[in-house]
Amino acid sequence: MADQGGSNHGIARTSRTRTEEQRQKDLERIKDYRDLEDQVRAHAAKNDFSADVFALTSKLLRLNPEYYTVWNVRRRCLISGLLSKPSPGSSPSKASPTSSPTATTTTSSAECSSSLSTETPPAPECPTTGKSGTTAETEADKEDEEQKKQQNKEQDQQNDQQILQKELHFTIPLLLESPKCYWIWSYRLWILKQVIERLSVPVARKIWEEELGLTSKMLLRDQRNFHAWGYRRHVVEQLESPALEGKSLVESEFEFTTKKIEQNLSNFSAWHSRSKLIPRLLDERNADDEARKAFFEEELNKIGEAINVGPDDQSLWYYHQFLMLNLVSFVGHPTITPAFTQEERVTYLQREIEGIQELLEDYDDAKLIYEALFDYTLYLCQLQERKPNEQEEEDLKSWLAQLKKLDPMRSGRWADLERDLGLRVVEEA
Amino acid sequence: MTTQNFTSLPQELQLATSAHVKYIQSLDSRKDEYDYWLTEHLRLNGLYWGLTALHLLGHPEALPRAETIDFVLSCQHENGGFGAAPGHDAHMLSTVSAVQILAMVDAFDDLETRGRGKAQVGKYIASLQNRQTGTFAGDEWGEEDTRFLYGAFNALSLLGLLHLVDVDKAVDHIAACANFDGGYGVSPGAESHSGQIFTCVAALTIAGRKELIDVDRLGRWLSERQIAGGGLNGRPEKKEDVCYSWWVLSSLEMIGKTHWIDKEKLTNFILSSQDTDKGGISDRPGDMVDVWHTCFGIAGLSLLEYPGLEPVDEVYCMPKSTIKRVLGR
Repeated sequence: MADQGGSNHGIARTSRTRTEEQRQKDLERIKDYRDLEDQVRAHAAKNDFSADVFALTSKLLRLNPEYYTVWNVRRRCLISGLLSKPSPGSSPSKASPTSSPTATTTTSSAECSSSLSTETPPAPECPTTGKSGTTAETEADKEDEEQKKQQNKEQDQQNDQQILQKELHFTIPLLLESPKCYWIWSYRLWILKQVIERLSVPVARKIWEEELGLTSKMLLRDQRNFHAWGYRRHVVEQLESPALEGKSLVESEFEFTTKKIEQNLSNFSAWHSRSKLIPRLLDERNADDEARKAFFEEELNKIGEAINVGPDDQSLWYYHQFLMLNLVSFVGHPTITPAFTQEERVTYLQREIEGIQELLEDYDDAKLIYEALFDYTLYLCQLQERKPNEQEEEDLKSWLAQLKKLDPMRSGRWADLERDLGLRVVEEA
Repeated sequence: MTTQNFTSLPQELQLATSAHVKYIQSLDSRKDEYDYWLTEHLRLNGLYWGLTALHLLGHPEALPRAETIDFVLSCQHENGGFGAAPGHDAHMLSTVSAVQILAMVDAFDDLETRGRGKAQVGKYIASLQNRQTGTFAGDEWGEEDTRFLYGAFNALSLLGLLHLVDVDKAVDHIAACANFDGGYGVSPGAESHSGQIFTCVAALTIAGRKELIDVDRLGRWLSERQIAGGGLNGRPEKKEDVCYSWWVLSSLEMIGKTHWIDKEKLTNFILSSQDTDKGGISDRPGDMVDVWHTCFGIAGLSLLEYPGLEPVDEVYCMPKSTIKRVLGR
C-alpha cells in the first residue's frame, strides 16, 4: 500500500555495471544532494522558515519533486513569513466549503512547533484603534486610517498574488517532467486554495480559470492521465462554487469530452467523464421528454458509429453499456430518460440488439459483440420480467459458444454464465 | 495447477526465490547509488514491500528483526504518526506501513513500551478523517483519496481501534465513488481504476459491508483487465503491469471471482517479469526491477497458489498467518 512514486515503470533493464569513474560521479551527486537536504532539515528543525530556506527548497524540489516533506517546508515558509498574515476578520467567509481536516489536526512534524502550519497566525501589527471613544479622534483621522488600512490590504494582496503566481509557475516544469507525481499536483492545489483565501474574487477566478488550460495541455500530452482528469474535475468544481462567484460549466465540460473523443475514440476517461456530466447537463438545460429522447438517440448514434469502426475497443462498449443501463436500471439514480415508457425502453433495446447483430456480418470474430448481444438480451428479459424464450435461448447458447471459443482466458466466467442461466452449450469442435 | 506443472517449466519461468531474497536484502546497502537517496521518502513503504515479499517467500528472518523495529520506531512523531524515514513528516501512507511492519514482526508491544503507543497512532489516523464526507486525508495538508481511507481502515483494524472513526460515513463515501461499470475511483466522479477498486473493496470488506458491491458488474470489469499476454492492466485500453496482478486479483478474490481470469497465463506473465539473475520483479518483462513490483508480483503469485509461497491475505496484503495472529481470524 502506498503510491507508485519511485517505482520503475517502463524503464528497460540494463546490465547496470558502473565504471569507477561513474561511481565517483554518483558519489559527488549524492554529496551535493545530501548537503542540500541537510541544510533544509537543519533550518526546519530550528523552525526557521525564512526566504533563504524557501530558496533551498526550490533547489531540492527540482532535484526530487517526490520529497513531500520538503513541499511541506515550502508551505510553512509561505505561511510563516512570505505571504501576508490575514488580518482578523478578513475574508474568512471564503474558506473552502468542503473543509478538509487541516483545521483540526496538529502539525505532522515533531520538530515543528505548534506555532506553525495550520494554527491561526498571530494578528499583524495594527494601528492602535483602542482610542475610539475618546475625543481625540476626528472624522478625518478615521478616514485616513481606513484609507491606510485599505492600502495595506491592497499591498498585501498584490504581494500575495505575485508570490502565489510564482509558485504556480514553479510547479509547471516539474509537472511536465513528472506528470504522475501526486505531491506536485497536491501542492499546486494547496497554492490555489491560498489564492481563494487571500485574493479578491475576480483575481482568484482568473487564476483558477487558467488551470483549465493547464489540464487541457496535460491531457494533450497524455489523454488518460487520471491525475490531470481528477485535477480538472476539482478545478471545475471550484470554478462553479460560490467562493469564486461561479456558475455551471457543465456545457463547456461536456463539449470538452466531445473534443477529446473526436481526437481519439478510444479515450475511456473522456467517455467516463461524459457519463457523469450528462444527468446534470440535461437537468440544467431543463430538457423535456422530447429533448431527452433526442439527446439519447444522438448519443446512441455517436457510439454506434464509433463501434462500427472499432468493435474490439472496450472503451466504446463500456459507454454503450452505460446507455443501455439507462434503459433498464433507472430507479434510484439520475438517468437520461426517466419518462420513457416501458414500450419505448423495449423498442430501443431491441433495435440495438438488431443493429449489433448486423455488425457480425463484418466482424464475426469480435468477442465484445457477442458479449454485448448476450448481456442486452438478458437486459431485455429483465425489463420484461420474463425468462428468455426459445429463440433467445438458442441465440444465447450460440453467442456463449463463440465467447468460449474467442475468449478462452475468461472461460470461468462463461462457465458461470452457462450454469446460472441453465444453458447447455455444445462446444464447437 | 500442480507442483508438477511448475517444476517442469523452463528455468526462467520458475520463481527465483533465493535471488529475490538477496535482492531485497541488498536494498539497504545501496548507499552509493543516487536513487537510494532520491527514494528516501518511500523508505518505510519500501521496508513494508520488502518484508512482505520475504515473509511470503518463506524467509521472514532475512531482514534483522531488532533493527527493523528500531528503524520503524525512529520514524514516529510525537503526534503518533510516522514519517517515511527519520526527519520526514508524518503521513498516512508511512503510518500504515509502520503498523503493517510492526504487525508482521509481532512488535506491537515495542510500540507500546518504546514508541508512542497504539492509542496515539490511532488518534493520529482518526484525526485525518474528514468528518463531513467520511473520507481521509493523507496528512494535515488535506489531499484526499480513497487510498488514504483504505490505509486508515487497514491500520486501525490491525490496532483494534476502528471505533475511533466514523465507519458508516466512510462507507457512504465509498458508495459515492462507485461508477456504472461497477468500479470505483479516487473520489466521487472519478474514473474506475484497479488500484482504487482494491482500496474501496478492501475497505468495504474490513467494514463488513461487501453487500454494497455490484459483484457481477465489477467482476466482469476486473476480468477484462487481463489482456493478450496474460498480464493485467489498470484501466481499459492500457498496458499490462505486474502490480495490477495484485490490485485486480485481490479484488477478484474478495468478490470470489478469481476463476474469471486465466491464472496460468497471469502466473507466467509475473514469472517472466523476474530478473532471475539478480533478483527482483519489474512492471513487465525486460524492464528494471524495483521492490514495489517485487512485492506485488510475489503477492500475486501467492494468491495464484504458486507452490512454496506463504498464503497472502487478500485484504491486508500481508501473510495470512500474521492476520490470524493479530485479528484471530
